[in-house]
Amino acid sequence: MTGKQRNFIKGKKGELIAKEYLEQKGWKVIEINYQNKLGEIDLIMSAKDWLVIVEVKLKVTDKYGLPEEMIKKEKLTKVRKIAESYLMVKPDIRDKFKKYRIDGVCILTDDNFEVVSINHYENLY
Amino acid sequence: MLCKISSASYYGLQAVDIDVEVNVAEKGFPGFGIVGLASKAVEEARERVKTAIINSDFEFPMAKITINLAPADLPKEGACYDLPMAVGILAASGVVNLPQKKAYFYGELSLDGSLRHTRGVFLLALLAKEQGVEDIFVPRLAANEACVVEGINVFPVDNLKNLIRHLNKSKQIIPLRKVETEDLESVAEPEFDFEEIDGQIQAKRALEIAVSGGHNILLIGPPGSGKTMLSRAIPGIMPSLSEDESLEVTKIFSVTGNIPPGGSVVKRRPFRAPHHTTSMAGLIGGGSNPKPGEISLAHRGVLFLDEFPEFSRSSLEAMRQPLEDGTVAIARASGRVTYPARFILVAAANPCPCGYLGDSKKECKCSVHQIMNYQRKLSGPIMDRIDMHINVPSVDVNKLFLDKKTNPGEKSAAIKKRVEQTRMIQRERFKGFEHLYDNAGMKNSHLKSCAKLTVDANRLLKQAVNKFGLSARTYFRLIKVSRTIADMANMAEIGEAQVAEALQYRIRSDN
Repeated sequence: MTGKQRNFIKGKKGELIAKEYLEQKGWKVIEINYQNKLGEIDLIMSAKDWLVIVEVKLKVTDKYGLPEEMIKKEKLTKVRKIAESYLMVKPDIRDKFKKYRIDGVCILTDDNFEVVSINHYENLY
Repeated sequence: MLCKISSASYYGLQAVDIDVEVNVAEKGFPGFGIVGLASKAVEEARERVKTAIINSDFEFPMAKITINLAPADLPKEGACYDLPMAVGILAASGVVNLPQKKAYFYGELSLDGSLRHTRGVFLLALLAKEQGVEDIFVPRLAANEACVVEGINVFPVDNLKNLIRHLNKSKQIIPLRKVETEDLESVAEPEFDFEEIDGQIQAKRALEIAVSGGHNILLIGPPGSGKTMLSRAIPGIMPSLSEDESLEVTKIFSVTGNIPPGGSVVKRRPFRAPHHTTSMAGLIGGGSNPKPGEISLAHRGVLFLDEFPEFSRSSLEAMRQPLEDGTVAIARASGRVTYPARFILVAAANPCPCGYLGDSKKECKCSVHQIMNYQRKLSGPIMDRIDMHINVPSVDVNKLFLDKKTNPGEKSAAIKKRVEQTRMIQRERFKGFEHLYDNAGMKNSHLKSCAKLTVDANRLLKQAVNKFGLSARTYFRLIKVSRTIADMANMAEIGEAQVAEALQYRIRSDN
């Protein structure tokens, strides 16, 4: 398995864990892994009257740092740009929600992909 | 929701009305943006305002916040917009009701929501009076500056929480009464008392004349003769500021943040002693957004330039026009600013590079060429603007060990008393004139009515001018110095003796 393939699987797994975690809070999924030419958004969900763009970060063990450290300002700016373009091509969703925000979900697992901790941060931008 | 708060910026010494428009949008990604030519300090207000609001137990709205500082073409500087921004955000999100009447909000926030000392409050108060705005909200530490302006309510604000309580009428802030700040005057003792300085009677007399009438003076002497000591003792004999003068000085000090926290109007005359490496912008004033320099900070006080020839030629020459006009106009791409700069120039210099030219004991080791080069640094136009050139010879060491009790020098306090009296005469004379307080400030047109010479005195002066080839400027300046000497003797007309004394200070033996 190459490094790229491993990253892809980790990403998918993280999105899945985050999605389940947020659905437990009563949120509803609108898109998983939305992609366009600017990049991708991990999760787009609705939480009551908020439209929430979720950036998921998964780290296998904290040997190379915590997932929180990996979400930087540049990344958020990028996510915001993608989100704005998403809203442009989906006017129905744009009009349905009044308030938008970007959240972060940071997942830490052990070597066997068993979840050690999940942290959810609201309104990162 | 949109909210408008009034605040102020200043350009030069003039405060300008600024509208802080705060919009908390219903739609869009949460964020915080500031527009309206904000400088770095204003940009950074975002973090301060956000943290201060949260630390004051209010909710920071999770919405798109846009702040506009209008008019948009005027550059905004400083942290004074923190408070209007915070109040605007809280008002726009419905936490607080704004007052019906226009009020100014002004101040820098600390992260814990308390207000820090902010410069320029005095100018804000003047603006409020001019605009007919009754209420101003300013940091408590700077509020004393504002309360000397009558006819406005100055609300001293400790922290954001108290202000919001006041605006919501749950707990009122009591407006500040005019405070007496007499005790501030007695601080900052002069380094030396004239009593401590032995000998140098002529120099002391010359300094007294200079301070009494506001004349420029140059002290020339060998190293160690006491030039610096004499000059450093000047603060002890400077008269206190009149009310109008004090307001002029306070304006400059307020803008530059030189008024300490809790301080009110400036009552002491400034004494500035910049080092000779000071840049031209530091001395004259300047920068891309022009700021007052040392000559403006010394307005109505003394600018002491020790080691005069060591200052860069360009800085010295740049003082020509301010020395004459009492104001300095600085023009930059961003605009033109005029700062007042009516100061007494006290300069100290050695006669030559080794310092001992003309000394009675030590021989000068400089070549003629070196001496010429050294003296060339002080150009004619600058020397022409200095009314009194005083030789300060080295002190006879034997005199230093004389018993102080039998031969005491005069105390600074006694000299100051005389200076105050002389100033009183001048103030009385210039009552009808605006911004004219001392003899040195007289325009040539004033001389005819204010400085009458006796026939003998006039003749002596004309003779001297012809004999020594003095310039027209020096002629007028001589009359002003003789006017001061006559005032010190409480004489209505300037006599021969006064002109002779003034001449003696102007004409040096080597001239």
